[in-house]
Amino acid sequence: MMHCYLCSAPLRHQLTWKLLFTSMPEPVVCEKCLRKFERIQDSEQKYEDVIALYHYNEAMHDYLHQFKFGQDVVLAKVFRSDIATYLKNSSATIVPIPMHPLKKKERTFAQVDELLRVASITYTHCLEKMTTQNQATKSKLEREQSEQFFSLKEDCQIEHIDYLLVDDIVTTGTTLKHATTLLMDAGARKVTSFALIQG
Amino acid sequence: MRFQLNKTQLNLTQSSPLHLLHHQLRDFLTGRLWLRNQSFLRSETIDQQIKLGYVEVIPGIQLISTTNHLFSKEKWQCNRCRNINQHFFARFHCAKCEQTCVYCRHCINMGRVSSCTQLIKWIGPPKKIVTKGNTFIWEGTFTPQQEKASVELIESVRLSKDHLTHAVCGAGKTEILFPAIAECLKSHKRVCVATPRTDVVLELAPRIQKVFPQTFVQALYGGAEVDKRYSQLIIATTHQLYRFEEAFDVVIVDEADAFPYTFDQTLQEAVQKAKKLEAPILYVTATPSDELKNRIKKRKGGSSFIPRRYHTHPLPVPRFDSLFSYQKKLTKGKIPQKLKQWVCDRLEKEEPFLVFFPTIELMEKSVGLFQQLHPAIQAVHAEDSDRKEKVLLLRQSNIPGLLTTTILERGITIPRVQVAVVGSESAIFNKSALIQIGGRVGRSADHPSGDLVFFHHGITLEMDEARREIVKLNELEVIQ
Repeated sequence: MMHCYLCSAPLRHQLTWKLLFTSMPEPVVCEKCLRKFERIQDSEQKYEDVIALYHYNEAMHDYLHQFKFGQDVVLAKVFRSDIATYLKNSSATIVPIPMHPLKKKERTFAQVDELLRVASITYTHCLEKMTTQNQATKSKLEREQSEQFFSLKEDCQIEHIDYLLVDDIVTTGTTLKHATTLLMDAGARKVTSFALIQG
Repeated sequence: MRFQLNKTQLNLTQSSPLHLLHHQLRDFLTGRLWLRNQSFLRSETIDQQIKLGYVEVIPGIQLISTTNHLFSKEKWQCNRCRNINQHFFARFHCAKCEQTCVYCRHCINMGRVSSCTQLIKWIGPPKKIVTKGNTFIWEGTFTPQQEKASVELIESVRLSKDHLTHAVCGAGKTEILFPAIAECLKSHKRVCVATPRTDVVLELAPRIQKVFPQTFVQALYGGAEVDKRYSQLIIATTHQLYRFEEAFDVVIVDEADAFPYTFDQTLQEAVQKAKKLEAPILYVTATPSDELKNRIKKRKGGSSFIPRRYHTHPLPVPRFDSLFSYQKKLTKGKIPQKLKQWVCDRLEKEEPFLVFFPTIELMEKSVGLFQQLHPAIQAVHAEDSDRKEKVLLLRQSNIPGLLTTTILERGITIPRVQVAVVGSESAIFNKSALIQIGGRVGRSADHPSGDLVFFHHGITLEMDEARREIVKLNELEVIQ
């Protein structure tokens, strides 16, 4: 018997034809926990060229905390079908926002890569994070005035095509803006972004 | 973050001379089984202590072989919580060691234990416990029964044997523990009072600290700040005992039958692991299970029984009242007549009341209906972060009553409170839950009685047994 990854209640999901005949992954959380997450309506999108899926409410805060800081890697699976639905038909090249290598080593995994991997989305890394500084500890003004913190990977050739940046959470939009600017300057045709959460 | 110690302490630590670091590490680590990466000391300092043979390193996750009569197979075991249920293990590609690692989800709230993390433990020269003077200050008095139970408990501590104290709700069982704890402290024993519920830890710790003013009493529960000083007396949730090994000379398990202790095998093992091999376990409860009674008998442990409350008045006997199809009515937006009348009577007489519900869902559907009777009526459940405040509001008569799940079945005292159980036939209201719920009524000497009603959709065996037990306890001759 499977148990809900968030509340440990036994999972009793109904077996549907859809589950049987499509490659839709089995849910890993119960419906009660799932209901606590709040979807963002189209009119509530805060940033231009960024599509975010969920509000940063209490349940989402707890989820993200356990996933990233509690290092509970398997929680990447909670939103895998949402992420798959949005990204699987994208014609753009998918580029996750990278972590600094030291930071990644410390956390033992890169959460954005993990979100994409469990949703079976192929991605390419063409950015590198230069600073180990944490965005979350800075003020809004500090973030907006900060200098570019990404660089292009050495052997990476940015072609005249579309790119789709992916991050776990968008709070002020600065991270995505930096990455977008870098790609556009290097010759990308169009850069849009996707975030699981809008803070 | 909750696992890390505060930064200023850390800086102080780094500049201290070696022998001081050694003492700090010893004081903190004695009896503990701690994640190395959560330690407040620099990695090099710990390496040094390992080299000197003072600190032992244990892998976080281990493969163990289990054999049953047909197959032998390998299983993962978490060395902190000792979980071997394979469902709780997850594999992932670890960026730190660049290979597949396994981690335990069972105790992940205390910081992740994975196959590439290490647990550390103190094996160097032990800490000497110094006891200063007489540190036990308590001016209460015992009833003859409390006195007897207390003496019996001390006897078991001296003989180092397990003990079961069966005391009815409101018998004053915490006080009975005081002399036994004092005896332990005096004879340089390290003591842990463990309980499944955080609420109980929060309630017990200040009471115990007050009685032992010169002893450093440490309260441990999820989210508590960890003090790195050594403490001889620890009040902890049973969960926190995952982080101890062979630490205590005596473990007291309060409310031994409370959820989740009885349901989670690893919690019971945690108590065994946290105590020294020969150390006794003292159980205290109002509703001992047959299994617990048998275990004590088998191990030739001592036992005490207090059938009367400290104020010597009898326990309130529940009355049964039918409330057929209450679920349907509440769902349709109507409070059944009898229940409505009961609440209105309480409001009129200005008596504080608790209404217990079998599920959070039903309670949340009903709370709006009850607020039509009185707008200040509130509801509480386990995940409610304002739980403590709401109970306090009721105690201070700022709100007339509370709707609750079984979360308030034990540990709370509200003078003059009246209690109704809605749907007492539900499986969650077993005999001990019903007895505990009944134990909320008439606890103070000024108001030793009150109404206790089980509203039901059919009488169950558990309800009958609960009532029979209460009547039986009340009929017992009281030894003087």
